[in-house]
Amino acid sequence: MSQKHMSRRTFIGRGSAGLASVAFSSALLEALLATTGCKAGPGGAAASDVIMPDDVLARAVSHLMSRGADFGDVYVERAAFDAVRSDDRKINTTTTIEKGVGLRAVKDGRTFYAYTDSFEPERVYETARYVADAAAAPAASTAPPLVALAPLRSPLSFPIRPLPSEVGVEEKIELFKALTDRAWSADPRVVQAVQFLREIIRQVNIATSDGAIARQTLGLTEFIAQTYVKGADGQLQAAWDQRGAYAGRGFFTGDNAFEKVVDAAAAKALKLLEAVDSPRGVFPVVLGPGMNGVLFHESCGHGMEADLVFKGSNYKDQIGKRTAAKGVTLVDDGTIPEFPGSYAFDDEAVASERTVLVEDGVQRSYMCDRIWGAKLGMRSTGNGRRQSFRYPPIPRMRNTFIEKGGVPAADIVAATKRGIYVADVSGGGQVDVITGNFMMGVGEGYLIENGRVTRPIKGATISGMGIEAMKSIDLVGDDLAMFPSAGRCGKMQTAPVGFGMPTIRVRGILVGGKGEAWTDIEGAKGGRG
Amino acid sequence: MNFKKSYLDIAAYAVERAARSAAAKGGRVEAEACVVDTESIQVNVSGRAVEQMNAVKEAGIGVRVLRDGRMAFGSTNDLSKGAVRDLVEGLVKKAVYHTADEFHVVPGAEDGAIGGDAGGAAGYAGAAELANYDPQVAGTPVQEKVGRALRMEAAGLDTSPKIAGSMFAVYQDAASFTYLASSKGLSGWHRQSGCGGGVEFTAVDGEARESGSFVQGSVRWDGFDPEKVGRKAAENALGMLGARPVPSAELPLVVPPEIGTELWSFVAGMLSADEVQKGRSLFAGKIGSEVAAKGFTLVDDGRRQGGMATAPVDGEGVATQTTPLIVDGVLKTYLYDCYTARKGGAKSTGNRSRSGYGSAGGVGTTNLYLQPGDVAPEEILAGVDRGFYLTVVLGLHAAIDTASGDFSIPAAGFMIEKGRKTFPVRGVTIGGNLFELLKAVDKVASDLTWFQTVGSPTVLVSHVKLGGS
Repeated sequence: MSQKHMSRRTFIGRGSAGLASVAFSSALLEALLATTGCKAGPGGAAASDVIMPDDVLARAVSHLMSRGADFGDVYVERAAFDAVRSDDRKINTTTTIEKGVGLRAVKDGRTFYAYTDSFEPERVYETARYVADAAAAPAASTAPPLVALAPLRSPLSFPIRPLPSEVGVEEKIELFKALTDRAWSADPRVVQAVQFLREIIRQVNIATSDGAIARQTLGLTEFIAQTYVKGADGQLQAAWDQRGAYAGRGFFTGDNAFEKVVDAAAAKALKLLEAVDSPRGVFPVVLGPGMNGVLFHESCGHGMEADLVFKGSNYKDQIGKRTAAKGVTLVDDGTIPEFPGSYAFDDEAVASERTVLVEDGVQRSYMCDRIWGAKLGMRSTGNGRRQSFRYPPIPRMRNTFIEKGGVPAADIVAATKRGIYVADVSGGGQVDVITGNFMMGVGEGYLIENGRVTRPIKGATISGMGIEAMKSIDLVGDDLAMFPSAGRCGKMQTAPVGFGMPTIRVRGILVGGKGEAWTDIEGAKGGRG
Repeated sequence: MNFKKSYLDIAAYAVERAARSAAAKGGRVEAEACVVDTESIQVNVSGRAVEQMNAVKEAGIGVRVLRDGRMAFGSTNDLSKGAVRDLVEGLVKKAVYHTADEFHVVPGAEDGAIGGDAGGAAGYAGAAELANYDPQVAGTPVQEKVGRALRMEAAGLDTSPKIAGSMFAVYQDAASFTYLASSKGLSGWHRQSGCGGGVEFTAVDGEARESGSFVQGSVRWDGFDPEKVGRKAAENALGMLGARPVPSAELPLVVPPEIGTELWSFVAGMLSADEVQKGRSLFAGKIGSEVAAKGFTLVDDGRRQGGMATAPVDGEGVATQTTPLIVDGVLKTYLYDCYTARKGGAKSTGNRSRSGYGSAGGVGTTNLYLQPGDVAPEEILAGVDRGFYLTVVLGLHAAIDTASGDFSIPAAGFMIEKGRKTFPVRGVTIGGNLFELLKAVDKVASDLTWFQTVGSPTVLVSHVKLGGS
């Protein structure tokens, strides 16, 4: 979801294949799947999850450690991306197959990384030696000690049902024809519609210098629908909806059905045609449940990632201190079945877990990987993630949410005289972790007038200081909902993440818009509203 | 890095396999293959020491297959003949399920595509004059690159004791060779290089805590000045100390080059013929109309000497060109690739943009800039009695609605009072509409400054809505 200034930071991207622009052919995917164990989708080590045998992994680790590194790991990946897209009523598919081995050596807290696109053992060892040399301690050069590796096991599993290869191209095209018709016939004012389905199978083998081997196969399925509408006055509006899950297409039923997503995009866009410009100023904002959990992701999640904490984010040295209002509990959970931020092991072979970051308003933990966690004197919380073999792992969020509170959700709007109700912050967001300043774009919002939700608004953004916003949450609803998002969080590299929260109220926060300026709104400043 | 004949050969092989595979099925296909070979280094430093180093060497192929008006795309980083053959044969089979579209094309000479000299082996004619490749970028030893990253950070840390540390300091460079082959008999190769760095600092003064960043890149090894980037980032952070919100108001806005480049990129996105043809852009039907203030001239220049997006051909082998998009406020043309050109009865402007071998690409800008005027930026500032000088925008991708053009951008900057920047401001939003903003550009200064592939001078916007406390 967030960009975190990173679009500016990754400014020399030419020549690198972005995952956003990938594709595939069924024949190739079938070939890949035929050799994998993803039918069972085990978190543990099934023989069929093997890309590279134990002895090659062990030798590669030994090469990495041969010049005195403190830690090393080998990350072997192959991935197939199969996408179907309907745009301008035209349906096309794309295909990409990628493979590579990432090699990392860590010495005195410094990370040295390189990758090769070859699975040939000699090429892997050669790259490992290159990395070992870069990380070399001045006098250390020894015969590679062979590391004894033991497989990790996990109770978590993420079955992919059905496998992308079990659904023929024809069937996908038929599904998309129906979805295309549905989107275009939603209303006469629809002028354009896009539907996009991407199925990714990632098979990963990791071996570390502390003796762990983890092998897992994950299947991520993402669906996005976007609809453009044009009003009688020539006004153009667009809205979108999306879902993502570590599961097969079987996940996309009920509230997560493809049809529901397509309908929601059109409904939101049409509502915008009737919307008034958002008021601007500092006043109460009620956030609806589910997807709005991105509030937590942007406003404080990034600042609680161990690398940014270590380097001085506004959450540094806050353990045991109050960083949110009483009654607010923030959790990052990597074990929720099917959710996009879940996995058995992270990308440096540490078991995933449920991490309570803030408990009843008090900071309890940060999100740690091995390297940055160690720098903070903390153990890894299983948050070491990477986009692919091209990247070393860094601390990333998983499924982040605010726990449910005790206020009946309906009472929260009723208790708010004047403000806005945000149903959906699908606009995305960004944070400056140094100051804690964050922003979010409102996709679907309404005015609150005299305790009632009234007219839809457009063009609103919410922004403020993360810790201040968390401290000014004064009502937490009882209606926690989790949202399986197709949103990708970007921090030099992308990661699938999930969100959740109950209905909450933030007493006073800066709302941007081009509508009228609201000043002196009751409850926006000072004590409890 | 060097030209590798084997990559031109594997691209030609992919095209030939597509034709043969289709012939076996009694059909005819056109095909295009693109191999991209990249070497890149990224060095992150923190606290005057290396934090992370990432070395990249990778090559891959992307193939487009056109069969009976149906286009299929696929890619792989396995460049063995077997893998490429499997990829191409899969695409030939799969294409039949796609939606036919009469405008799909593998470009030939009639579409503006060109080939390299001597069947491609010698590269494109005149490519050297574009000055878009410096062998020193890939050729310089890694230790010197590490040194650059360290010097960049140190220059900022040494600026003031109030600079508490860097949140992010990175040096990156890349050199890439692109090889194209197509069934229209046009093949060729070209190369690009780039290097640069960016840093973000924390400035602390008592309770006050602010951030500031700066990023700069160049095609040439000598074009990047690490110390300057470090100092500028530190100055940006220091300048914000003591920032406070201000009340809501309607004010003139001064937009410096750093922020202007971000805004014009959004405008150019809406000038893509693809967006226009699909009804997603409010610039549709506006050719020949006034869409911006007089004095506003926006140009896309694929042949800018030393430009970071400069290349002899675009992503589908069409010769690049200089394209004035908006001239003195009047919309002249959209940006086209061959598909949208055929669909719109126009000529490709050489704007097929692809982000690597894994992308089939689409319409995109090359080197985009707002033409400078003749007034000095200081003069613009001096003429503002009370206004806002915009230096930081947050989450532009979320803050601007590209359909309606409406925006409300969380921002920071400086109050302007009686022609001078007086105090730093944070905690405000800038609200308005991009289409209205274009018409409200009152003055364009002479200080055209490039930030990687986009350039802008300082501009004055007559009024925006500031949302504050």
